[in-house]
Amino acid sequence: MRTPDIFYVEDDIDYAFFMQSAVQEVKDTLNLAIVEDGVEALKKLQHFAEHKTKPKLILLDLNLPGLSGLDLLKFIRDIPYLKTVPVILFSTSDNPDDVKASIEFGANAYLTKPDGYENLVKCVHSVHDFWFNQHLRLN
Amino acid sequence: MSKFSVDLTNCDQEPIHIPGKIQSHGFLIAVDKNSSTISYISENTGDFLKQDAKSLLNSPLSTLNDLISQPDSALHIENLLKLGIIRKSFDAISPHPIEIEGNPFYLIISSSKNDWLLEFEPVTLQYDIQSSIGRSASSMLQGKNIESLLKGAAKEVKRLINYDRIMVYKFLEDGHGEVVAEEKEAGLEAFFGLHYPATDIPKQARQLYKLNLTRLIADVNITDSKVITFKEGEALDLTNGGLRAVSPIHIQYLKNMGVHSSFSISLISHGELWGLIACHNYSPKFIDYKAREGAKLIGQILSSALEYRQEEEDAKIIEQFKNTANILSDHLNRDKYLIEAITTHKRTILDATKASGVAIIFENELKTIGNVPSAEEISDLAFWLKTTSDESLYYTHRLSEIYSPAQKYKSVASGILSCVINKEMGEMIIWFKPEMITQVNWAGNPDKAVVPSENGLMSLSPRKSFEIWAEVVNNTSEKWMAEEIASVLRIREIIITDINKKANEIRSLNEKLQAAYEELDTFSYTVSHDLRTPLTSIKTYAELMSKNKSIDEGGKKMLSRILVGADKMNLLIKEILNLARVGRSEINFETVDIASLIRDITSEVWAAYKADHVTLVLGQLPNIKGDKTMITQVFTNLIGNAVKYSSNADKPKVEVAAYIEGGEIIYSVKDNGIGIDNRYYDRVFELFKRMDNVKDIEGSGVGLAIVKRIVEKHHGRVWFESKLNVGSTFFVAFKNR
Repeated sequence: MRTPDIFYVEDDIDYAFFMQSAVQEVKDTLNLAIVEDGVEALKKLQHFAEHKTKPKLILLDLNLPGLSGLDLLKFIRDIPYLKTVPVILFSTSDNPDDVKASIEFGANAYLTKPDGYENLVKCVHSVHDFWFNQHLRLN
Repeated sequence: MSKFSVDLTNCDQEPIHIPGKIQSHGFLIAVDKNSSTISYISENTGDFLKQDAKSLLNSPLSTLNDLISQPDSALHIENLLKLGIIRKSFDAISPHPIEIEGNPFYLIISSSKNDWLLEFEPVTLQYDIQSSIGRSASSMLQGKNIESLLKGAAKEVKRLINYDRIMVYKFLEDGHGEVVAEEKEAGLEAFFGLHYPATDIPKQARQLYKLNLTRLIADVNITDSKVITFKEGEALDLTNGGLRAVSPIHIQYLKNMGVHSSFSISLISHGELWGLIACHNYSPKFIDYKAREGAKLIGQILSSALEYRQEEEDAKIIEQFKNTANILSDHLNRDKYLIEAITTHKRTILDATKASGVAIIFENELKTIGNVPSAEEISDLAFWLKTTSDESLYYTHRLSEIYSPAQKYKSVASGILSCVINKEMGEMIIWFKPEMITQVNWAGNPDKAVVPSENGLMSLSPRKSFEIWAEVVNNTSEKWMAEEIASVLRIREIIITDINKKANEIRSLNEKLQAAYEELDTFSYTVSHDLRTPLTSIKTYAELMSKNKSIDEGGKKMLSRILVGADKMNLLIKEILNLARVGRSEINFETVDIASLIRDITSEVWAAYKADHVTLVLGQLPNIKGDKTMITQVFTNLIGNAVKYSSNADKPKVEVAAYIEGGEIIYSVKDNGIGIDNRYYDRVFELFKRMDNVKDIEGSGVGLAIVKRIVEKHHGRVWFESKLNVGSTFFVAFKNR
């Protein structure tokens, strides 16, 4: 299995579909892997750690059935190998409490899910520009 | 004999038990208890017996046996005396029938200090009165209440002695008397209900009334007969004598009233002089000893009936008070409002006492029943009560002497009884009793001129009496009875319990409301959150579809309508979320730099509404204490509205300024836009309410609801002034902390 560029945990299949479209629209070579729930995500993350592959960016939906985005974030930060991977919390909620908690648990960014497809494309663009291009430059 | 010179000023000290004289319709012989010789004798004895009075002095008692004849001649008068001494009572002997010069007489024996008093008076009654007394007593006792009992007594006494006027006279607390029952000859002026001063019956006379239960003054115009003796400086005590002469003051008093004969029967209740049955005749009239004894018996029966009935009636009053308490308690349970419960039904708080007026001060309102001072006077009185008394209960029957402003309204409120419901709030109930003088019918017309009488006793008139009495009872109401005070305490307890109960009900309602509110907030938060996700899907799919080249223009138009609808719904949801968040969040108080806040907000708002043509005028923008996020919401909404609703105006202008007034910082946001119809003032801040004139302008109807909620959460105030097509000014007042 190819190591994905972006590992995205999202239970809303509609939004997952939008993300897929938007990512492809931004850059069709980007590899996006999507899992639908926390448990599956955990397995995948462990798999990454075991095989010493890591995605370039992890996107976590905040509200997930079972394990939440925050739980996953904690888990990621506890795995030494994955510790350095940038994690962005991605949620419908713009509740300041959620933002605060995410940053405290070590999220690199908190993004409110954009309203509409055009906005999503713009958002993915920015994320790509920052976390792929600029980030690479920083490294 | 009596060296005491009596006038009105000292009649209180007149030694009326030793007048040294007797009324001359009979005669008196006193026998020394030790020597059995005649020690005192009335001068008129010679008019009855064949021997001069003086010559009998110092003679042995047995001398009399020759001068009087008895039915049983063997019974000597000294034996009669001995019998009484042995029996320790002359009750069974008196009256002892004798004959003098062929005329029937009664001998009545009683005791004085060192002597036996032998009084002789004519027998005038031809028939046996005993049976008629029994009838009288039983018909009198048929009276079910005190009033009818007294009335019955007066009637029976009148039948027995046949005087022109029979009054039952009751002594009131301060010693003055009231005529509480009356039987009289037709044509005589009624005295019923009249009051007489205490001085009319001086203290020592009252004492005698208690010892000697009947008192006959057969003829005020008859000349008294002196009691003579050889003893020096030792006056004969006539306390127990029936013939005892009358004080000249009292004779004058009776003459002033036109009375020729007077008879009184003492009424004793619980060992005290309750009153008198006072009988007047307008011509001289002697009453036979047996009739007097009969009247006395009626008096005694009445006395004991009074004791019993009074207790019964006291019990009735207590019962009535208790009953009132129960009824009010029921009303309180049933009625929503306290004042209504205790004032509007048939039985009211006034019935808790015998007061004639009551004022209730509760929840800053005054409610009165009956005769009370003016609202302002009551309010001042309540303030005075609040500041002077720490007790929950206060009462006086002489208010104006303690609290001088009450002088003005002493006629309705010489007596007050107040009980505090809530001291901090100044809540209380005050019962009022009128000044006694205003409700008293005085004997004699107080305005009638004083008529001087020949002996100079001109001051002895009802008018003078009234003045004396008026001074005594000036500023005074009837006293508050212990039962009334107990009743008030009982009522107070009931009212306070009720208030507490209602307060608890309100508190629990409040808690429920609070819980419901919180639930609603949570609900709207969750709902709007959960609504957003599918809405986003709808919108995004619509966008994706409109990118699809196979969709024609018509389809694209429909998709764009879907997008508009979704956007509108999204806005609504966002606003509801904001509103719910205000309810859920705790205020984080900090100093908010309003000047910079307004700067940020205006640039944002101007950009959002593309409002470059709208002029912004900023005044003073002092900092306030509050939650920065929420304050931002307030101004964003207000300024946003101002711009939104004025941008179509000619030279639109939005002004933001503040002023400080009365501990508040008051911000105003003013526009010259379309304005708000004042008829809908109350609805402006309601959720989802939008005025008719803004239909064409986009808005959710949530903004001002959020503003109101935030401001209220800050314990501030928000309001507006507006005129259609002229503009609106919204004011927000924050506490200047």
